[in-house]
Amino acid sequence: MNPSLVPALDPTPIPGPAWLFHVLLVFTFFLHALFMNLALGGTLIAAFAHLGGGSPARLALARRLMGVNGYGISFAITTGIAPLLFVQVLYQQYFYPATILIGEMWLLLVAFLMLGYYAVYLYKFRGAPARGTGGGGWLAVAAVLFLAIAMVHVAVHLIHVQPATWARIAARPWSILADPTYFPRLLHFVLAALGFSALVMTWWAVRQAGAGRDVELNTAIASHTWKWAIVTTLLQVVDGFVLLMVLPRDVLIGLMRGGAATLFPLGLSVLLGLGLLMMLARVGNPVAKPGLVTGTLGGMILTIAVMAITRHQVRELYLAPASAGSVIPVAPQWGNFFLFVLLLLAGLATAAYMIRLVMTSPAAGREAA
Amino acid sequence: MDYPVWDVAIGGSILMAVVAITHVIVSHFAVGGGLVIAVTETLAVKRNDPHLRELARRSSLVLILVSTVFGAISGVGIWVVAGLISPAAIAALIRNYVWGWAIEWVFFIVELLAALLYFATWQKITKQAHLALIWIYFIAAYASLVIINGIITFMLTPGSWLTTRAFWDGFFNPTYWPGLVLRTGITLIMATAFMLLAATRLQAGERPRIARYLGLWLVAGIAIAYAGFRWWEGALPDAVRTLFLGETPKLATLAATRHFLLWSLTAALGLGVVFLLAVPRAARLVPALLIMAAAFAFFGGYERLREGVRKPFLIHDYMFSNGVRVDEIPALNTNGILSRAGFGAAAAAADPGVHGREIFRAQCASCHTIDGYQGIRKLLPDDAGMIAGVLGVMRTQGETIVALPPGRPIDKSQLDYPFMPPFVGTEAELESLAQYLAGLAAAPGAALAE
Repeated sequence: MNPSLVPALDPTPIPGPAWLFHVLLVFTFFLHALFMNLALGGTLIAAFAHLGGGSPARLALARRLMGVNGYGISFAITTGIAPLLFVQVLYQQYFYPATILIGEMWLLLVAFLMLGYYAVYLYKFRGAPARGTGGGGWLAVAAVLFLAIAMVHVAVHLIHVQPATWARIAARPWSILADPTYFPRLLHFVLAALGFSALVMTWWAVRQAGAGRDVELNTAIASHTWKWAIVTTLLQVVDGFVLLMVLPRDVLIGLMRGGAATLFPLGLSVLLGLGLLMMLARVGNPVAKPGLVTGTLGGMILTIAVMAITRHQVRELYLAPASAGSVIPVAPQWGNFFLFVLLLLAGLATAAYMIRLVMTSPAAGREAA
Repeated sequence: MDYPVWDVAIGGSILMAVVAITHVIVSHFAVGGGLVIAVTETLAVKRNDPHLRELARRSSLVLILVSTVFGAISGVGIWVVAGLISPAAIAALIRNYVWGWAIEWVFFIVELLAALLYFATWQKITKQAHLALIWIYFIAAYASLVIINGIITFMLTPGSWLTTRAFWDGFFNPTYWPGLVLRTGITLIMATAFMLLAATRLQAGERPRIARYLGLWLVAGIAIAYAGFRWWEGALPDAVRTLFLGETPKLATLAATRHFLLWSLTAALGLGVVFLLAVPRAARLVPALLIMAAAFAFFGGYERLREGVRKPFLIHDYMFSNGVRVDEIPALNTNGILSRAGFGAAAAAADPGVHGREIFRAQCASCHTIDGYQGIRKLLPDDAGMIAGVLGVMRTQGETIVALPPGRPIDKSQLDYPFMPPFVGTEAELESLAQYLAGLAAAPGAALAE
């Protein structure tokens, strides 16, 4: 490799210890992953639900998914801002070159996101949710655009952790697709998105059915999304092992020799994946087992959290040769950090207050806003 | 300089201007629209006025479709473009102000949730609960402006941060308060501009009254923005003011931009007074679009002026527009710019024939294309010796800047090329660049030498 391609470290100190930014990066990425999963997986499932005209249950599922995504995509964007911020604090000298090397695609990501989001709104206002039928094309457009965004993200990630490839990428940007981990990694994210969205929708439908609302419809939706969850989780377990095996040798060895710090999250996520599969396979009719459905969804969220840690550790292992010996200067701004924490708590309290306000202030007719 | 250079045909600064100006128009509407919609619905409830309510409801749809989608994504777009064309500057800003951005992120989440809930709960929750949502929205949106204004104004007037490197010294810098007043006025102008579109869809009989109501907001916004603008001009260091103010401004194009924005503001005021206050029955789509155009022209002009007077810096007195920091000029003059530009050095090592081109890419390409925006070829004399002479003067300019006492605004009017970063690099690099540029000048229309 040619280490001189990595830009010199900015002498400006970072305003807090590195571990704090690592924690914030992983935590906010986890939050982002939840909403991103809903945006990507939900749109894909909804688009598939429209194939062949779609049964009433499938159209109801698509409507429900896109109802969630009107909010979900916004929050996928908003929660994505924080990890984008923290990744720049910690990895600026790797991250910017990676984005510049595939600059056109990185910029197109913004256009894809905007067009995809507006396509979702077009579906809501001009498709089945508003007119009872149609609009599957808008969903397909949105799904393809969101998939393209995932592809760009995976590319930037793989480029930024491998400075040794930069000279090659500069000459042939598309060669990143030939990275042996590219497609297993992309599939890992897409399957997680599908599985998570399917489980959220199952959980919702099961709760609705349990409360006696549209029992037949909700039973059909739950059964459909449960199948999505089973198939994608099964594929995920296989793909997870493939991804592990195609990792560069040093990275894999680093994971295996990292002691409890790396083996615990990795082992836990493998066990959780297998456990999820067993729980999914045990249930034929999810509406009859609401507790198990909630447990499975909880298990899925925990798996995503643990995988976010492993993903971060893999990044560090990839970058170990390039970053050896470099020390980021630190000059903590603790006052500003605590102000951030204080305002974050106040912000979360305000968010909770608003949701409670909406739930507890129903009104109709002249009393309503 | 340290980073690979992203080649964009239209020029990075044009791309940034397009993304940034469209974003700020929408984001300022998102703030001002919050206030105007909140007041409008509050009045509607108090007076039991269904038409004001309808104005608020229709405007909230515009708010959702324009702000939460376009505003949020184009905001990400600014980061994306900044990272592509000025990675060193955005890296330095983030290292200083990451907690500021983190705080703004918190406000943004509250703002977004409030907007989505507000739009989704028309006719579904009580009036008081609904009003609470829009007021929370406005407070969060305004708080995000309070934060980002500190970072934007820091880039132009870092103030005592230059010596203390302290977060709040840079944040509450000399143009912070004038900038906040100016942008507060702009938020109201943008709110009126967008809400006029919603107003054109109201019942014909009610439109004049609503137009007059929005006209009052517009005039108030213009008055606040004008006061803020004049205060902002007064708060600029003399060395910056002389660039575009006074009898003989140093840069005529910036002086013209100032005239343009003030005339645009006057036009918005005139159109507002005539079509919204004096003859509100005429407040149909075309006058609304004209007011919008004048308002956008004013705001775009101001952003252009703000960016222009910052030249040749990205962070005034700290980092030049090509990512070179003032404090690294001596080292770069000794070791050469290619000692830091890894991609350029690798290319030049593989093919010595591209040495000059790589120096151009590392040092000049952040502002100049070859034949497109700020195309270098048409600016060049066709004499290599003359080019080397100019570069030599620009190199001396860097040494002059380094010799100035730190912490004081650099008096750009005393420089030979006040809007250009100095040339940095060794004598050999200067020669290589001069030869490359002379080659460009001698071969008009030829593509960038490979």
